Amino acid sequence: MTDTLLALLHMCLFPGGVFALAVGFFFKGLDRRVEARLQSRVGPPLVQPWIDIAKLLTKETLIPKTACRQAFLMAPVLGFTGMAVCAAFIPVPGVFNGLFNMGDLLVLFYLLPIPAMAIMVGGSASSSPFGAMGFSREMSLMLAYETPLLMILLTVAMLVGKGLTGGAWGAEFSLLKIVAYQQQTGSFGLNPVMIPALLAYLIFLPGTMGVAPFDIPEAETEIIEGPLLEYGGPLLALFQVTSALKTFVVLGLGVALFFPGTVSDLWLVNLGWFLLKTLALMLLSLTLVKSASGRMRIDQAFRFYVTVPCALALCSLLLVWFV
Amino acid sequence: MSIDHLLKKLSVRSPWLFRINAGSCNGCDVELATTACIPRYDVERFGCRYCGSPRHADVVLITGPVTTKVRDRVLTVWNEIPEPKVTVAVGICPISGGVFRDSYSIDGPLDRLIPIDVNVPGCPPRPQAILEAVVLARSIWMKKLGLEG
Repeated sequence: MTDTLLALLHMCLFPGGVFALAVGFFFKGLDRRVEARLQSRVGPPLVQPWIDIAKLLTKETLIPKTACRQAFLMAPVLGFTGMAVCAAFIPVPGVFNGLFNMGDLLVLFYLLPIPAMAIMVGGSASSSPFGAMGFSREMSLMLAYETPLLMILLTVAMLVGKGLTGGAWGAEFSLLKIVAYQQQTGSFGLNPVMIPALLAYLIFLPGTMGVAPFDIPEAETEIIEGPLLEYGGPLLALFQVTSALKTFVVLGLGVALFFPGTVSDLWLVNLGWFLLKTLALMLLSLTLVKSASGRMRIDQAFRFYVTVPCALALCSLLLVWFV
Repeated sequence: MSIDHLLKKLSVRSPWLFRINAGSCNGCDVELATTACIPRYDVERFGCRYCGSPRHADVVLITGPVTTKVRDRVLTVWNEIPEPKVTVAVGICPISGGVFRDSYSIDGPLDRLIPIDVNVPGCPPRPQAILEAVVLARSIWMKKLGLEG
């Protein structure tokens, strides 16, 4: 009973819920600001994502007559719930170990595609042809970027499994042990064997976050925001909240997999260090790429994801397997 | 101050822009898309964002003299935009018909069809004028929300 209560508390306050939301929205604001600075503009204020949410809450909600009402209303809730649970599994090294007694890397792998699925359900329930087009694009893209992600997770798990059993064949999917192992033997991000996997993870990030050059399912100039076309007001706000939570989750997972080192025994310092690392990861893989690139076609993006990151991840996987 | 009041007060700092081309020659559209707003004069610093869907829009920028063919489509899209919305006519064409005013194929000016809140004359208008119109649209939006501008 107390376990359940504690888990709920972690989902609502730290590291999920309030904390993840605050970090996600701060990063989103910073992302827009940095992108503007890179293009020699001024950019919006840092609190802009919060203001957008406030604005969306005051707007009216319109539901299309031909839409499937229940699915249309439930889709954003589904995505939000998935990510809210997911955020509690993210370990903050030196501060919080994640809900390790409730799930591991594989649970996270199953929870991660939920926002994309919510967008697909919402898009197809909206009865708009653009929603259907966005649905098919989201699905192809998801299939393409989930493959390298699975290989990256497997690589990390196998390296830890080998280390813990002293060279024997095995895989360790517990995030707690993955973080602890790296804190003893050094971060995987600095291990030459793991560099291809790290690169593959950096390429995976813009795809899963749906930013340029992989913002194909919600392309506003081609298919007028696709699945999100018919959403407005509070429902759209919920999609934005989900996206902010997802930013925290995928960046936090990246830090846990590749850079979970700590710098001191003080939890406050460790928290700051964690935020710095996630921020660096975001600027490198999302903001820089986004502000310098246009949008790919869906077939180009699909081909890119099943070749480049897959090859990189496979490279690391084979190295870990045989060396 | 109630939460509702606070949300309304914050909301005018996030005007999302939506463009409707009502048979424009593209001069004003180029000003909107490439020089005035995003890349050079940066309308994003007011919290603006171009949105692709009329459902997300707050401020509607309409260019062009409203040709007969496009009239019903403009009205359809305009009616899809949720309230409260502010309508801005960009360029001389939607205001008076401009150089096309005596043409057989024009159904304008625009304010015969839908209520216009801000007019931005010019052929095309200067970027600064468009930015001023967006700022003006914000204060009109505040009045529509029942707050003093």
